[in-house]
Amino acid sequence: MRYIALWSVTLLLLTGCGSEKKKPDDQSFEESLRDSSLNVSALNQEMIDGILQQIPSPLEISVLLKESGTRYNGSLLNPSGNFERYNSRYKMALNLGVYGTDLGYTNIYEQGRAGLDYLSAIRSLADGLSIGQFFDIETIGRLAANSKNLDSLLLMTTKNFNEINKYLEEQGRSYQSVLLLTGGWVEAMNITCQTAAGNPENKQLRQTVGEQKIVLEQIMLLLSFYKQDTEISSLFVDLESLKSAYEKVVITHTYKEPTMEIVGGVALVKDNSTTSVEISQEDFDRIKSITNSIRAKIIS
Amino acid sequence: MKKTLFVVLISVLFAFDKPQPSECDPESHANNCIPKLATGFNFLKAYKVDGVSGAKEKVEYSYVFTTGTQYMINLCSGNTAPDGIVVSLYDGQRNKIATNKIEDQIVSAINFSCRSTGIYYIQYTFDGSSTRCGGSALGFKR
Repeated sequence: MRYIALWSVTLLLLTGCGSEKKKPDDQSFEESLRDSSLNVSALNQEMIDGILQQIPSPLEISVLLKESGTRYNGSLLNPSGNFERYNSRYKMALNLGVYGTDLGYTNIYEQGRAGLDYLSAIRSLADGLSIGQFFDIETIGRLAANSKNLDSLLLMTTKNFNEINKYLEEQGRSYQSVLLLTGGWVEAMNITCQTAAGNPENKQLRQTVGEQKIVLEQIMLLLSFYKQDTEISSLFVDLESLKSAYEKVVITHTYKEPTMEIVGGVALVKDNSTTSVEISQEDFDRIKSITNSIRAKIIS
Repeated sequence: MKKTLFVVLISVLFAFDKPQPSECDPESHANNCIPKLATGFNFLKAYKVDGVSGAKEKVEYSYVFTTGTQYMINLCSGNTAPDGIVVSLYDGQRNKIATNKIEDQIVSAINFSCRSTGIYYIQYTFDGSSTRCGGSALGFKR
């Protein structure tokens, strides 16, 4: 009897202690502390909000790729199953942006099955960031299943991501918006670079890569507000190496007065200004390589 | 005497109780603009245009426009759009690129074919607007 009691107590102690992993509450507490440390002043918040809305949607790049005649290449995207790797808010926010770009890409190319997988991954990451309520997965899934619903699908997903960014700003979590946009942009850049490399005769794609110098500058400006955070600081350093690869890329803007006329109650404006982008093969290769490295780190 | 004072007091209270200006709901107007983007344009952003009952003379946003892309910016308001809301587009050097006010006529949308990638400023001002309140949507196509 004594032995049974002793073994029972021993068993209880062993199962009670178990493998002492970090408790979810501890991680949550640390993440909350981090959120507090990333609060910015009201003036800076206004600047951040202004720059955030400038960043173009990755959807534009996906449409450009399709319109340029390049074929869908699913191997360029972050596998949807990778979402299980991302346990910190930092990684979740970045990869929510990555998957947002991948979703747009699959939607534009009418890859419904892949789109559904990305939706599922997005929902998981959004739930992890407590913003899952902005995705009506059932409705989006129904739209994705039918290629005739492409316009509605794109509209809904764009609206959802816009609402998320607005909510994060209102909640004082703009740094997550910044990470979301950064992840989305890096993924779009990687897809564009890889596609351009595979289609060297397509000058437009290389020009698009060169033009991203403008967007990179804005993204780095956004991240600079949060450099007190170790992980964001590290990301900033990585993007600085990309910025240095862009140093010799020259974008020349020549202004010319536009022409305007009213057609069907709409002001039709023809832009007569031009932009030329000078980007050498060497610079392109370096930009492609660095982008790929940064992206690999983000999705790892 | 007491009655006189009471009447004066009530009159003074009513004098200060001015009717409140009708509330501006720019978010609603911005959302209403989205389905009004012309066919073929993919929605990008919705913008609130709130003149805050006359206090704000302009509302400004910015966006990176890309070469080879067509953009549409439309306007919606409580009254028939554009209700005196003028939208103007400026490039990064603040050159005026487009406006919905052409020769004193104000139309409800701009269709802009971009040939020069860069940051553009979308500015909303008011020219005889009765509400100084509206919304706007930005869309694109290639």
